[in-house]
Amino acid sequence: MKAVKNERFMKVTTYLLLIAWAVFVVFPLYWMLTTSFKSKLDVFLGPKYIPWVDFRPIVQWWIRIFTVEREEVIRPLINSIIVASISSLLAVLLGTMAAYGLTRFKFKFGFFRNHDILVWIVSQRMMPPIVIVLALFLMFKVVNLLDTRVGMILIYTAFNLPIAVWMMRNFLSQIPISIEEAAMVDGASRSQIFFRVVLPLTLPSLAATFLLCFIFAWNEFLFALILTFDKASTMPILIASQHFQRGPQWWDISVMSTVAIAPVVIIALSLQRYFVKGLIPISK
Amino acid sequence: MINIWSSFTGKKAGRAFVLPAVIILLLLTIFPFLFSLFLSFGKVSFLGGLQIHFAGLRNWLRLFNDERFYNALSNTVLIAVIAVAMEYVLGLGLVLLLNRGVKGSTFFRVLFFLPMMLTPIAVGYMWRMMFNPTRGPINHVLPLLGLPAAGWLTEPKIVLYSIILTDIWQWTPFMILILFAGLQSIPPALLEAAKVDGASGWRLFREIIFPLLIPASVAAILLRSIEVLKIVDKIYILTGGGPGIYSESMTLFGYNLGLRAFDLAYGATIAFSLFATVLVISIIFLLMTRRSQEISLE
Repeated sequence: MKAVKNERFMKVTTYLLLIAWAVFVVFPLYWMLTTSFKSKLDVFLGPKYIPWVDFRPIVQWWIRIFTVEREEVIRPLINSIIVASISSLLAVLLGTMAAYGLTRFKFKFGFFRNHDILVWIVSQRMMPPIVIVLALFLMFKVVNLLDTRVGMILIYTAFNLPIAVWMMRNFLSQIPISIEEAAMVDGASRSQIFFRVVLPLTLPSLAATFLLCFIFAWNEFLFALILTFDKASTMPILIASQHFQRGPQWWDISVMSTVAIAPVVIIALSLQRYFVKGLIPISK
Repeated sequence: MINIWSSFTGKKAGRAFVLPAVIILLLLTIFPFLFSLFLSFGKVSFLGGLQIHFAGLRNWLRLFNDERFYNALSNTVLIAVIAVAMEYVLGLGLVLLLNRGVKGSTFFRVLFFLPMMLTPIAVGYMWRMMFNPTRGPINHVLPLLGLPAAGWLTEPKIVLYSIILTDIWQWTPFMILILFAGLQSIPPALLEAAKVDGASGWRLFREIIFPLLIPASVAAILLRSIEVLKIVDKIYILTGGGPGIYSESMTLFGYNLGLRAFDLAYGATIAFSLFATVLVISIIFLLMTRRSQEISLE
């Protein structure tokens, strides 16, 4: 009898703790979303929690961002989409090629073997971006890449390559080589095998890797802060500058932030089944 | 073009696959890395085109006599140590709760993963609104619970903990992610056998689960520490390093002096000292945990 009671107590506690953390996770998001529907008065009069109960929701700020402020918002939004997609595509393509090379060929440059090359590539991600970004500022200035989309695409490709190589290596090492050997017997060349046999087989992994790279590029701030100032600015830069330009207009900031996180939330939800399988099998 | 393709077929095919990635990294990370190291021993001037003069140890001597450096370093390390410790404990606790066969565990898991995906700038604003002294929900609710309201982002003694809380919100999911994967890789048969032998609750955790989670824990703590030592975007939005420089992190310090004050050489010196810090902390951590990792592998 006592054991049963104890078990029920444990179960209730478990749920209460999980729900408590869920509330902690959701509340700031809820707060930002609701702020984007509040009038200035409702923001300034102190915290209002529930729409239709203690404040009347308005869509004015959402309309404004797509009309009056359209000019200001549209370019960073397009920049973010272009820079993040193209750089992620490049990172996945080059990263997959590198991962394929490292899993299918034996390398030896002096002491440097496959594993050392892999570690060298992956360890680039450890480096604090501030270390390279000041030098990049000078380099980009010399070659006229400052404040250009091309420059941002290049740097985000390099920034995402270590992750792409690491993830694709783990996926590629699970594909049995016998399939490729069969293709080779049929007279296919390496490039044909790579593009016609291996890539189609790894399509889901490629998609997952692309989306993860996309998130990193989409969210990145420091490179964009230092290497862009107007034409190539991305969404994080636009949002960050709001406060300095006009003082905290929380409603506008909330709308823009919601726009910035919406795609990431959708991607995260579509990726969730990979997370469960251990998208990043670092613990190996 | 034909030459490039034929290199995919010949004996050197392997190189053709790996080379593009290596070249990009050499150009865009290794070269700037060395250039930055060089800058830290130089002086940059833009008068009559870009010129870099050798300045010896000048920047480094300035750094070691700069109180602002020690302030930024201790802020960064304090944030890293407390945030990572809290995130690990919370992440481990949540993973164990999720593993108790609760209904809707997928729902909880997906929800719990979410914050780490979100744009840090947006997260910074979210929490700045939460911490708002007069209009934020935190200062509204605390007095109702009989607790004092506070200037979360304006009081020097509190501001770092507010930043830590924001980091915990965003990055505990990373601990959950890795520890969850670690927990999944424990063979169920092992746990069943331990239960048959009468192990349960605390003993099961301490003698079976925790030791088996050590490799995952080491990886999670190390990777998170490396990341959090770079912290800048959330601080930039939450406080801008303020009040004064009470919440300035190393990266923000490097940015402020390198680009705002436009002393690129000194900025590079600051950045390199951060790189050295990350390296030293990683090595110390790996040495400290080597013994326990060996034990868990037995």
